[in-house]
Amino acid sequence: MKKRFPIPVIALSILAVALAGCAGGSATGKLQFYANGEDFVRQGFVSKDGWSISFDHVYITLSDIAAYQTEPPYDPSSGTDIDAKTEIALDGVYTIDLAEGGEDAPPIMLAEVSDAPVGHYNAISWEMSQASSGPAAGHSLVMIGTAEKDGQSIDFTINIDEECEYLCGEYVGDVRKGILEEGNTAELEMTFHFDHIFGDGELPQDDELNLAAVGFQPFADGADAAGVINMTDMHLGHVGEGHCHCACE
Amino acid sequence: MFIIKLKWQSIIAAIAITMACLFMPMEVHAHGVNINYTSNVEIEIIATYDSGIPMAGAQVAVYAPDDPTTPWLTGSCDEEGRFSFAPDTARPGIWDVQVRLAGHGGIIHIPVGGDTTTADGQVGFSHLQIGIMSACVIWGSTGTALYFSKRRKT
Repeated sequence: MKKRFPIPVIALSILAVALAGCAGGSATGKLQFYANGEDFVRQGFVSKDGWSISFDHVYITLSDIAAYQTEPPYDPSSGTDIDAKTEIALDGVYTIDLAEGGEDAPPIMLAEVSDAPVGHYNAISWEMSQASSGPAAGHSLVMIGTAEKDGQSIDFTINIDEECEYLCGEYVGDVRKGILEEGNTAELEMTFHFDHIFGDGELPQDDELNLAAVGFQPFADGADAAGVINMTDMHLGHVGEGHCHCACE
Repeated sequence: MFIIKLKWQSIIAAIAITMACLFMPMEVHAHGVNINYTSNVEIEIIATYDSGIPMAGAQVAVYAPDDPTTPWLTGSCDEEGRFSFAPDTARPGIWDVQVRLAGHGGIIHIPVGGDTTTADGQVGFSHLQIGIMSACVIWGSTGTALYFSKRRKT
């Protein structure tokens, strides 16, 4: 007598094969995370109060970095949490020197996720947190450099201890970033605008940016950073030219 | 024979009438009108800073839903921060408009057309789709197995 496979066994086998085939169908690509201090940090600039500032090191510590695909697109002005259908989170804490490299150095790559699901990563969040070790230990941001004005030169080290959460939408710039297609690479960028702290001598004094910035003169006068800088008001973190929601403590 | 002849005659007559209708000059009424229409949607954005100051002269890039990386249209805001464009309504979905000026900018997402859902980039199948497909495969296979099983018995 021939041995027959029961019908339920055949059906379950087919189901298993079908599900296995579908499970492997998700497309992926590489998602790269960058940090960028822009030319203000790499090339130096003139503050709103006329100090010519150049940086030797700008140590910033970043943690809890995550990229999101959101629908509808996240609006950072809402200040709400990011509600995502897809999230890629980075483990670890990254202390980097935004001033490293020459004047034309590219943004610094923090990490790469090689198997990120395809789609449009239109939101990103991170923490600026205190470093536990290294040259920036105990601080979230350390700016080391030289400021010159009217023949006076000051070597400065400005330490920021506040920890900030940044919730951002889509990158805004010359090109659109974060659009990941199968087998391709997409970039995301955390951008830091240091002219928001010191102001920009090339802009009018009554420009909004200059009105909000503290300039460099308080530091030339010996002020402590904690006494003159409220990081929540500085809006240091951006996505390209796009603003982020910022909360510091 | 008679019936066949009548059919051919009818067919030839029908073709002749049709051709005559097609090529006969149309009568034109002196007061006839032709009204056609095209549907255009014009969108106007107004870009300002948080303070309310207009982003005069800001660069604008408009992206169509089916090509999010290449600007469909570029331009600049007027002195009041205004910019207008008529999206291609044959490309429904979310149109993205990016506005930038002096290192600061933003992006707005505008639904156009009937289907205003954006391409989400998800590939493969949802759990529901997988379930339905699996059920179909099982049903088809079971039916086939039962069919052959029944044939062997007979």
